[in-house]
Amino acid sequence: MKPAELGVRRAFEVHSHVLNNGMKILLVENPSLPTVSLNASVLTGARYDPESKAGVAIMASRLLDEGTQTRTSFEIADAIESVGGAIEADGSFERVVVSAGVLNKDVPLGLELLADLLMRPIFPQEYVDKEKERTLAEIASAQDRPQVVAGWAFNELVYQDHPLHRPSHGYPETVERIERNDLLDFHEKYFLPNNVVLAVVGDFRVSELLPNIQDTFGSWRARPIVFPTYPEPVRQSGKRKKFIRMPAQQLNIYLGHLGVRRTNPDYYALQVLDTILGGGAGFTARIPQRLRDELGLAYTTFASITMTAGLDPGRFVAFIGTSPENMRLATEGLVNEIRRIREEPVTAQELQDAKDYLTGSFVFSFESSPQIARFLVHADVYGLGFNYVVKYPEYIRSVTIEDISRVARMYLDSENYTLVVVGPVDGAQ
Amino acid sequence: MSSLEIPSTFAMEDVRRTVLDNGLVVLTKEVHTSPIVTAMIWYRVGSRNEELGQTGKSHFLEHMLFKGTERFKKGQIDLITLKNGGGNNAFTSHDFTAYYFNFAADRWDVALEIESDRIINCAFDPEEFEAEKKVVIEELKTGLDSPWGLLLQEQEAAAFKVHPYRNPIVGWLQDVERATVEEQQAYYRRYYHPNNAILVLAGDFETDEVLTKVERAFGSVPAGAPPPPMLLKEPPQRGERRLIVRWRSKVPRLAIAYHAPQIAHVDSYALQVLGVVLSEGKASRFYQRLVEREQSVTFVSAEYGESKDPTLFHIRAEARGDHSIEEIETSIYDELGRIAGGQLNEHELDRAKHQMEAHFILSRERTLDQAILLGQIETLYDLDYIDSYLPRINAVTAADVAAACSRYLNEDSRTVAVLLSDGSEPVEDDESEAG
Repeated sequence: MKPAELGVRRAFEVHSHVLNNGMKILLVENPSLPTVSLNASVLTGARYDPESKAGVAIMASRLLDEGTQTRTSFEIADAIESVGGAIEADGSFERVVVSAGVLNKDVPLGLELLADLLMRPIFPQEYVDKEKERTLAEIASAQDRPQVVAGWAFNELVYQDHPLHRPSHGYPETVERIERNDLLDFHEKYFLPNNVVLAVVGDFRVSELLPNIQDTFGSWRARPIVFPTYPEPVRQSGKRKKFIRMPAQQLNIYLGHLGVRRTNPDYYALQVLDTILGGGAGFTARIPQRLRDELGLAYTTFASITMTAGLDPGRFVAFIGTSPENMRLATEGLVNEIRRIREEPVTAQELQDAKDYLTGSFVFSFESSPQIARFLVHADVYGLGFNYVVKYPEYIRSVTIEDISRVARMYLDSENYTLVVVGPVDGAQ
Repeated sequence: MSSLEIPSTFAMEDVRRTVLDNGLVVLTKEVHTSPIVTAMIWYRVGSRNEELGQTGKSHFLEHMLFKGTERFKKGQIDLITLKNGGGNNAFTSHDFTAYYFNFAADRWDVALEIESDRIINCAFDPEEFEAEKKVVIEELKTGLDSPWGLLLQEQEAAAFKVHPYRNPIVGWLQDVERATVEEQQAYYRRYYHPNNAILVLAGDFETDEVLTKVERAFGSVPAGAPPPPMLLKEPPQRGERRLIVRWRSKVPRLAIAYHAPQIAHVDSYALQVLGVVLSEGKASRFYQRLVEREQSVTFVSAEYGESKDPTLFHIRAEARGDHSIEEIETSIYDELGRIAGGQLNEHELDRAKHQMEAHFILSRERTLDQAILLGQIETLYDLDYIDSYLPRINAVTAADVAAACSRYLNEDSRTVAVLLSDGSEPVEDDESEAG
């Protein structure tokens, strides 16, 4: 069978526009279903939260649909749900996203609500109080999940003073400190048309939609933005370890260190490396093959450095969930595989298989309108270019065995790493 | 009442149902929007078919089907998927076991070769069986480390006394630990036959050409003896059942389950509407009352899902702050009482119907989602269900919802499970080496 030569066949013409106020508009007509997916991304997030008020960005995002100058919380929900649509506002370290899915006939309503949430939220005091309580309750609930607790502890040790050391929703004590004014300031500072990318994908005509977008967002005034700065995170030297005792069936083990940015030129070589080491289809990668298939240590085990790559460096993470008696075997197993890929070249077959997998499965990222809308924002934020769908297979195919050895030695470390273990550590061996 | 304006875009006229001589049901649906084909095979076997002391067999079998045949050795199925840039996975439920491949349209035939081989030639190497048993046990333990996983498992075991829906799909640990390769193999022989399977193909292909390929791949697989019927029926519940699960969490969680009918039952449509009215979206009843007004929960959900045999209508909530489970329960029962008493208004009903209609359309964009819909409905009931679904939902009246609410969601048929703290606290130890 000949290797994957699959392009993304579906007509994928991106109409790109910039409104006079600087707002970026990316449109793709996709009439395969009578639906439209809208994604408005504000280029800010928890990475800019002040340490003492960590959680501002996420709380502000989640309050966008709880009241605007023209609609109450209930009116927003009722308006969208009555036409069978959905609108959602949420944030991450680097983005605040308001997204909506509607039937084609309801695009004007979708746009209007999107504009209302982005331009005119009022963060009612009553809802600020509720959201604080709710966030605190959700943090308490998340403490019940060993994998979440392990992930949080891992980030603290890996990022140290860098903003990504904290959970994006903040800590209970910083959430307590957030006031309505902090949310209004956050909105005032970052929610500007020159800081927004709007992607719309689905069953519409550009010639009809674009004037509508212009009318809806044209009056929004641009202003310069000053983004906070913070120091680069530093790769650790030496080992950092943390054990958290929790009565549970399994240990959740995170092992790794600081990773790379999405814009790193070695990103594609690292994607191939991830596929060989800890990802790929089924249990073909080295870590799942060895630790799951051969040794039966786990149901879930994987490793990746590209998965978390963003505007800030992500993390290289190797994970395994295993019974306490397997701790040593599992941890050594992970370290051995990291060491092996650094020290020994991968085989030509492994390289070819990984490339065939990545280029062949690329098409599955573009099956639905919401996926395409997310891709458009992604491509814009990381400067990938809209010919990325054509370029991607070339990037992957150019990776060599030497590249894999080089990037493994440069970006992975089997000596200087962070290890976090959460679970019944007393019974661990 | 406004009517649903959008024609169903899940065009059933594109679906062809063919039955091979050996009994294999083949469902094909051409979808030409992306150069992708999803190939699925569904077996009419799940945890509902398992005997006492042998729970978890259907799920374990699903794992074994990736461990090789004479032709495709261990690891080959995943390797072929990798080399062809595809994806594969499988899932087991109470009612069925399903396997899928996603491939580019120019190379998907290999899925037919794999499925037509492992339907009859699964190897059951004893060493592989023991190795995989460890993996299954780790999976089972992952479930027990989740508060909802544990609570729902305990709840189902209490709500059903006789019907095998009382058993976890992954099985009871003690049963999985003692499982033998011989029993597993016998189970496979009993249920894995073309006449107990449904092949679903959705994607970018020509149907006639594909049916020839299917006949070539599966035509020679012999039909098996019809699998034994599952005859167990749950006796009626005669009063509330209540249980407490102690766990390491400080956050109390509440799960209420009511006995409810199977798929396509005349009342099942009203119960689906009821689930949406109660908890779908921020305008829904439970959200407005418990999250917004009383602020007693971080989330609340109400759900009725389609299943082969009579099932459960689930309500779940997570307590917030100092609010007690009793207080949350009282509000839930009060809201149910209002609906049973006829207080559902037309606007709420319309909103729920529009949400269901849009969901039906919005959630079928990928070929995999379409194949899952077809396979699931053919396995559970009959494909006609798909075409009649939206009209039947549309025909539900406020009186139907009230009647269903009062008939099924009543005190005597509920099982209330509460997760409460066992008093334990996590302890942290740090260790570091300066470099």
